[in-house]
Amino acid sequence: MSTSPPASSPQSKAVAYLGTAAWVSVAIAVVMMFVVAREATDAMGGQLQRIFYVHVPSAWLAYLAFAIVFICSIAYLRTNARRWDLLAHSAAEIGVVFTTLVLITGPIWARPVWGTWWQWDARLTSTLVLWLTYVGYLFLRGLSSDPSRTGRLAAIVGIVGFFDVPIVHYSVNWWRTLHPLGPTIADPTRDSGLGGPELITFFISLSAFTLLFAWLLALRVRLGHLEDQAAEVEAWEDAAPAAAPAPT
Amino acid sequence: MNEAGWLHKSALLVRKDLRVEARGRDTLPPMLAFAFAVTLLLAFTLPGSTRLAAPVSVPGGTVAVVDVVSGFLWITVLFAGLIGFARTFEVEREEGAIDSLLLVPLDRSGLFAAKAVANLAYIAAVQGVLLPTFALFFALDLGASWFVLVLVTILVDLGFVAVGTLFASLAAQTRSRELILPILALPALVPVFIAAVELTSDLFVGGGLDAVATRGWFGVLIAFDVVFMTIGALAFEFAID
Repeated sequence: MSTSPPASSPQSKAVAYLGTAAWVSVAIAVVMMFVVAREATDAMGGQLQRIFYVHVPSAWLAYLAFAIVFICSIAYLRTNARRWDLLAHSAAEIGVVFTTLVLITGPIWARPVWGTWWQWDARLTSTLVLWLTYVGYLFLRGLSSDPSRTGRLAAIVGIVGFFDVPIVHYSVNWWRTLHPLGPTIADPTRDSGLGGPELITFFISLSAFTLLFAWLLALRVRLGHLEDQAAEVEAWEDAAPAAAPAPT
Repeated sequence: MNEAGWLHKSALLVRKDLRVEARGRDTLPPMLAFAFAVTLLLAFTLPGSTRLAAPVSVPGGTVAVVDVVSGFLWITVLFAGLIGFARTFEVEREEGAIDSLLLVPLDRSGLFAAKAVANLAYIAAVQGVLLPTFALFFALDLGASWFVLVLVTILVDLGFVAVGTLFASLAAQTRSRELILPILALPALVPVFIAAVELTSDLFVGGGLDAVATRGWFGVLIAFDVVFMTIGALAFEFAID
């Protein structure tokens, strides 16, 4: 028997605190990005390099999100417990949002620095394939009506997608190495030349984005619970229309 | 369950699927017609065979238009395959026989293997027609390296049918069956088709295989085949209910 938590339950209070912490730390991170962190060299894009404080944390959190999808998918297939399915679904949605952010911020930086919006290198291509895979995952969830079946089908895609991405990464890596076209791209994190203030800014930004991620995940899971309860109530009303006549 | 039983029952299921196909002809002829129509369109859109081999300058060097033919070949194989694989469980669904199929005293991995082998037969039949057609239309000179093409084709097909069969079984249980299969399968199949194009593009211009490159790409194909045949066999227990 599940009862809906009232609006002021400890759970929703915790989510609210998490949200406040997330937004305060994002504000701090933004100030750090523009005030504390020094401007990068022209080779790294100068002012534009500040986009990395958003780009790299987004990428890491996208990976985290899809790792959560993978683990929860396995847990769901083993236990058949709805909470794993809901967590996997929520993490996939947020992971797609963060991956989209990565795919938008990357080219904005690359255009002036590399001279091109896009390069088919291993990291870019596997990120794009990752995005496509989990967009497919969300489509599959949307196009299936029976919830327990949806969870089962989606879990398989969540698992397969996670195995595919390393193969894509390495295959494209070989592909590019065998056919060098255009300028070679240095690993963006390798020669970033971050000094002390920049490193501190980066880790504050990473923490801020992680809090934001946790908050969004908690919100999305709670929304999922509420949807489940609404569906339960609806099913109950449909099942017993005579027992509960509409008041006039 | 003993191994002989598993093999025997899977083989029976394959025979059943191929017999249904031989009588109904619902899957293979549309795949062939599609593949042939695409080849025809490509033949019209690409320059004539004499100009195919002529070098064209691009940033960073020169290429011949014939370099893209292997890409077209594999894209045609991919799309024709997905059209056919989308019908993996269609016969059972139309006739309401899924439950009887699931009652077969056979591990789900056996069912996966049977469906994958039937799909393998379809895609191999399509390729049997498509490869000579491509060679004819685009004046490809395969020379002595035709056996490499056959080897690549076999390795591509194993991974392709593993992914295609698994995702087709998922797609069959959703509202828009034909729509969801390519959305799921295309991103997953990126490595196989990059490897296929890389391994075969040089063959079409009469070149041999670069030993180092070849080893890497065969490695990608074999790794993909092993990973996805294993995942498919394991996941099928949950894919079909």
